[in-house]
Amino acid sequence: MIQETAVLEVIFKALNNLNDELNDSDKFEVNENTCLFGANAELDSLSLVSVIVDVEGDISDLLGHSISLTDDRAMSQEISPFSNVKSLLDYIVVLAVEGA
Amino acid sequence: MGMIMSDIGEKKLGNEEGRWINLRLIQESDAAITLKWRLKDRAKFLNTGSSTEKEQADWIKSRPSTEFNYIIELKSGEPVGMLSLIDIDIKNLHAETARFLIGEEDLVKGVPVAVEAMKLLYQVAFDKLKLKRLYGTVASKNKLMIKWQKYLGMKEEGVLRQHYFINNEWQDAIALGLLDSEYFEGALPKMNRLINA
Repeated sequence: MIQETAVLEVIFKALNNLNDELNDSDKFEVNENTCLFGANAELDSLSLVSVIVDVEGDISDLLGHSISLTDDRAMSQEISPFSNVKSLLDYIVVLAVEGA
Repeated sequence: MGMIMSDIGEKKLGNEEGRWINLRLIQESDAAITLKWRLKDRAKFLNTGSSTEKEQADWIKSRPSTEFNYIIELKSGEPVGMLSLIDIDIKNLHAETARFLIGEEDLVKGVPVAVEAMKLLYQVAFDKLKLKRLYGTVASKNKLMIKWQKYLGMKEEGVLRQHYFINNEWQDAIALGLLDSEYFEGALPKMNRLINA
């Protein structure tokens, strides 16, 4: 069973990777409340895709099977998985539990 | 105008409307803002361009009929970036995507501007011009753009060694390509999901 802390570590790693690629003026603080997309978001859609690619890859490695964070189900959630770090964490945990 | 513009004219191509943004054909009056964007650090991966507003206006005026150069505008009309379809070849049905730049980064946070802009450009290429293939090159150190283009459907087709001289160093160019079938079957649905999320 995947641990929440492991998922959080993956998300933080993806966001820190993104920060490494951004200009100093575009860098942002990474924590559980970091808004990813939508109102007050820190990311544009180019950066969001970078995070999605990294998180999908690392979580799929952890789970031993592939997951998609941009399928119809993910995009039709009442609360978008990309609202903030916590919502993304919660969504991935749901996927992990279902796939266990 | 040459043959391509005539053909394109018959297809009534011009500005493109999306859900979040519109693509508007570039005009000489866009010289100041596009020059401002091109002089930003964010544009470091693009080829060196004009250094004055006059040069930029002349450059815009001199665009050939084998190109569509667009300004990306929010629905409010605020210009936030640019992108182009160049070297449109209607015999071999291919074209290059180029000059993609978000210039007003704070205005596009949280909104799928980049994704929808690229979708509208692909729509012009594949739906309206009925092209078979799009291609482009990205500097090898522009990792965000390479990752983004691949996620949205482009395939890596090769490496052009030491193709760019950027920030006083040589960089390879990653050659990317997208076929019409890959666009309709993979890229378009994925883009639509990101745009409509």
